[in-house]
Amino acid sequence: MADITTPQLTDYLTNRLPEWHDLTVAGLHRLPMGASRETYRCDLSYTDEHGARQELPVILRRDPPASNVDSDRAHEFAAYRAIYGHGIPVPRMLLLEEDPEPLGGAISLAEDLRGFHNSEYQFQKPEWAPLLPHIAREMWGTMGRLAAVPVEDLDLSFTRPATREGTAAAELAYWVASLDKHDIGAEPIIRAAIRKLERWQPVAQKLALVHGDFRAGNFLYDDAGNLKAVLDWEMAHCGDPLEDLAWSLTRTFCFGKDDLRSGLAPREEAIRIWEEASGLTADPKALWWWELFICVKAQAIWNAAAHVWQTGAGREIIHAYAAWWLRNAQDKAALELMEVL
Amino acid sequence: MKPDVSMAAHELARRLREDLLPELAGFHANVAAMGAAMLEMIGDEWDGAAARLVAENRAMRALFGRAGALLDDKDLTQASQGEDEDLRISALTAANDALRARLTDVQTHVEHADRKELASLETAIWDVLRDSVASRQIRSANF
Repeated sequence: MADITTPQLTDYLTNRLPEWHDLTVAGLHRLPMGASRETYRCDLSYTDEHGARQELPVILRRDPPASNVDSDRAHEFAAYRAIYGHGIPVPRMLLLEEDPEPLGGAISLAEDLRGFHNSEYQFQKPEWAPLLPHIAREMWGTMGRLAAVPVEDLDLSFTRPATREGTAAAELAYWVASLDKHDIGAEPIIRAAIRKLERWQPVAQKLALVHGDFRAGNFLYDDAGNLKAVLDWEMAHCGDPLEDLAWSLTRTFCFGKDDLRSGLAPREEAIRIWEEASGLTADPKALWWWELFICVKAQAIWNAAAHVWQTGAGREIIHAYAAWWLRNAQDKAALELMEVL
Repeated sequence: MKPDVSMAAHELARRLREDLLPELAGFHANVAAMGAAMLEMIGDEWDGAAARLVAENRAMRALFGRAGALLDDKDLTQASQGEDEDLRISALTAANDALRARLTDVQTHVEHADRKELASLETAIWDVLRDSVASRQIRSANF
């Protein structure tokens, strides 16, 4: 799919936002962010209804024709809107266009919070080492506070319904279906994990808005390591908050190739921070279930990435790279959790 | 092929990373970095892929021979026969996929049977899977 061009975007926004006069688009370029959606950055300039000239840096995300995650612009847009103003820092959503016609795919526009970092690999540089404990507190503290937000306060009509008793089985069924849909060959280890997970499921202590991809690399932080915004809500759903904790702990996200989870902190320290911030308990048996579940979910995503290539539905380099890089490691993570490594 | 494919792939990766990547920025730099990493993986995998697949397939067929006798399953015993004759990676991978699918079935059967005399077979299945993961490990893996 061709990249969005400045004239294309200018024409579209001029028609879509007639109250923004003399609108210009500058510096449009694609960012190296995410495997499932295209992300662009640009500067908008326009004259508002009071005659004042406004400058607005924005992030544009576009749905590709084929993705490794079965989500869409409307879903992520609604997720951001649901959590905005509830104590979890996120960018403000500005515009949703679900019609793929004008720009080659559905798009969303959000405010662009500039001057921050989002690289998970930067944490491995020696100069960042002293900040890792603080960043860990920021990350798992924010995740814990997200878990604590009462779902009754949020508009979660965009996501699949959930119950405390049924969310684990429902999530497992959802990702097993994804695995089946994107079959790229036998998965004996992940199928063994699925059979284990099907024998028993935990009951959630409470329901929460689960981010679905909360890990290092999906939040903005400043030079002091303060978390400024949580990004990439396309897999957000109502569910068991232990899912987010388990996702952040998975071995494939040990970016320093050591035992620091998400490249930031030892497993037990991450859990301690999360429990303190959420006011919840990470029951070891329930957390184990969710960690093994994460191997199924993650493998479903890596397989979907490979499937995009195998079927010719897409040719984004990141899909092939992610599948090559992660599939065997995810199998290894599942073996470790099943104590057969 | 000469020059050696692994050597050429690693050199291409190095050139991409050291010479071209610094000239790029943003999305294009990211694509080049991933391309370099993939060339490294190709360089690593090229020489050993056929040997690894043949070894995996041989291990699974041996396991099926043992499982066929224990479970009195003639199909399984039949599946244990033979060798990989077509050594193209595509053919070996297709055989590997079919064998891994059958291994999944055998493991499921053994779990459901829950018979003490099958415990060693279950252990042997995990051994095959563990060895497979170890042999497939890539250098750049986080874990």
